[in-house]
Amino acid sequence: MIKVPKKPLPSLLTVIGYPFAIALTIFSFFQVGFNIEDFKRNWENRKLVTDTLFNPKWEWAIENASQALLETIQIAILASILGCFIALPLSFYASRATNQTTVTYLIYKSFLNFIRTIPDLFWAMLFTVAVGLGPFAGVLALVMFSMAIMGKLLSETIDSIDLGPLEAAKASGAKHNQAVFTSALPQILPNFTAYFLYIFELCIRASVILGLVGAGGVGRIIETQRIFLRFDRISPIIVLILVAVIAIEQFSVWLRRKIL
Amino acid sequence: MNIPKQPINQRILKYLITVLIVAGSIWSASGLEITPERFLTAPSKVWILVTAMFPLDLSQEAIDRIVPKVGESLFIAWAGTVIGAIFSFPISFLAANNVSLNSFSRATKQVLNVIRAFPELILAFVLLPITGLGPLTGTLAVGIHSIGTLGKLSSEVIEGIDEGPLESIKSSGGSKLNELFFGVIPQVMPTITSYWLYRFEINLRASAVLGVVGAGGVGAELINQLRFRDFPRAGTVLVVTILMVLIVDTISAAIRRRIIKGREIKV
Amino acid sequence: MIEFKNVSVTYPGGVKALNNVSLDIDEGDFVIIVGMSGAGKSTLLRTVNNLVKPTEGEVIVDSRNVTNASKKELKIIRSDIGMIFQTFNLVNRSSVLKNVLTGRLSQVSSLRSIFGLWPKDDKEIAFESLNKVEILEKAYVRGSNLSGGQQQRVGIARALAQKPKVMLADEPVASLDPITSRVVMKYLKEINQELGITTIVNLHFLDLAKEFGERLIGLKDGELVYDGKVNDVSDKDFENIYGRAIKSSDLLGDDD
Repeated sequence: MIKVPKKPLPSLLTVIGYPFAIALTIFSFFQVGFNIEDFKRNWENRKLVTDTLFNPKWEWAIENASQALLETIQIAILASILGCFIALPLSFYASRATNQTTVTYLIYKSFLNFIRTIPDLFWAMLFTVAVGLGPFAGVLALVMFSMAIMGKLLSETIDSIDLGPLEAAKASGAKHNQAVFTSALPQILPNFTAYFLYIFELCIRASVILGLVGAGGVGRIIETQRIFLRFDRISPIIVLILVAVIAIEQFSVWLRRKIL
Repeated sequence: MNIPKQPINQRILKYLITVLIVAGSIWSASGLEITPERFLTAPSKVWILVTAMFPLDLSQEAIDRIVPKVGESLFIAWAGTVIGAIFSFPISFLAANNVSLNSFSRATKQVLNVIRAFPELILAFVLLPITGLGPLTGTLAVGIHSIGTLGKLSSEVIEGIDEGPLESIKSSGGSKLNELFFGVIPQVMPTITSYWLYRFEINLRASAVLGVVGAGGVGAELINQLRFRDFPRAGTVLVVTILMVLIVDTISAAIRRRIIKGREIKV
Repeated sequence: MIEFKNVSVTYPGGVKALNNVSLDIDEGDFVIIVGMSGAGKSTLLRTVNNLVKPTEGEVIVDSRNVTNASKKELKIIRSDIGMIFQTFNLVNRSSVLKNVLTGRLSQVSSLRSIFGLWPKDDKEIAFESLNKVEILEKAYVRGSNLSGGQQQRVGIARALAQKPKVMLADEPVASLDPITSRVVMKYLKEINQELGITTIVNLHFLDLAKEFGERLIGLKDGELVYDGKVNDVSDKDFENIYGRAIKSSDLLGDDD
């Protein structure tokens, strides 16, 4: 008779996790409220939506939304550049590998974590109150947005770099900052570029919405048209944004191939 | 002595990029009528707002209004993520070029790209006339967008597997279905489930915002309080939202780490 | 048991991996194939279970034509042929037991296997196979947590669980150290002798071939250049097979 080992008991995660997840799912779906009556009533509207949605009014869009679209793109450009470049030094401070001082490390890391918790539109709302309505608030909001994402991605990248060149630089007498600048920074530049392009794309999408709360860009127009169910005017705007996003995506793929 | 110069192409590229960045910033800033001094005065203005929020409004009335809404955001995010996970899973196999036919996978990937491109808010817009005001719209918007992103990410995981175990199953007489369930799925599940959880973290932020258009969640609360200049209450909304996001993020990150690392069985 | 009839394999791109190989292997034989990298050893092995389909010729296993078999017949044929690989090919995240059970897949309905409802008999077979390679106690450990030698033993157990008539081993010890290599070869030899399973092993370590082999096949540039008893092989014969003098990299050596 062979001695068969005992099957290990399911882990704590499985025992608690799965039932909890299922319960949460069922509860959520109830909370979110699937009301058949409402649904049936509103289903009538769908014809309205599809009729207008697939009937884009390009001339109207180009005439009335061009300025706003431009604004949207400009907000994204400015915010992503500022946000990412500010996040660059911050990330070094928020990484154990390049910042040995525990106190400052914790401060910077917590700061970046904190910024991440606030959704982009919330930032926009706050800034419109603080500095007034208009694209400036939008830019500030997206600067926070970009900093948050770049900070997280970059500091994690820095955490896993090769420390060899850094040690070598210090061994030859370089000061800490010099060593980081010459040995650590070049290592992460390709990642920085990739992240920047990714964040730029995210910013363009995010900045479409800023106008909803008065923070500039094409969102304002979208909102007003939506109330009147003029999806025929909204869809061309969205398509133009999509085109811009896809163009950037292609560009970043091309650029990444050039660099690597 | 012939010191080699940095290859011309590289130099031109670097120069070009720098010019692009500087020019882009200046052009954007001037187009938006944003001057450097506005940046300098901004922090103090923000500080004024922040101080106006304290002391926070922690009255029973405030709590009664805010906490359920924050909970609603949570449920929208969770339900939306579940929808995203369930539907994206089979779709991701269709989109993976090592599991499904090339033409199929290319077509599916394009469809996913289109779905992904729409921000949740825009999806919510389109859905509002159909599904009405309320959290259902938010859930569907989050769900549909998640199908797009999760579908793409999952298909990339599937495409990156080790084909060796598949060969061994095939060589012992296993069917394609066997290869799928015993070779592909065990390899991809840990990463894919961690992506689901990460998506939940992101969806939480998206769903908080959806309230602005009436699709449920705490966004409506915040914007109303700000409009009515009720800063202490707005501050409460912010603080509660931040707390919830922090808690969810921490738990989710811990679970994700554990999923990727796996369990140690001591013998 | 296994007949190669004028087997040739030309890969798309023009590479001729096998050139008119004819060979008969009897039931219960323990055959070792040697040759340089690229000589066609892997290809030859894979024509036995049709993972590679010969461009000319055919392979007969246990009176069944493998080369021209239909998909359904092929699955049945393959379930009688066990195979182990240089890279072990375990599913890293799955337990040892689950890996071995994949050897029983051809015998268990898809529905049951997907939900993990393995019949008791199949689990018994899996446990016995693990016991044969002396790694039963690690049944629930994850594949990736094992050493190379242990993983290969699991690979052998998986092949054993098929209750095969033929065992194919493609460079099974190429990534293992000398001691572990000998342990693995020992298991293969034992299985061949105790259970009568016809075994073909690809090796490129000549001393191992001499230590464990009975019958030796030499391949060079896709052609059969040697077929005889291991004891009759001289260094000169090896040099013919390799086309050059023997180097130290052709020998596994001992652990120092």
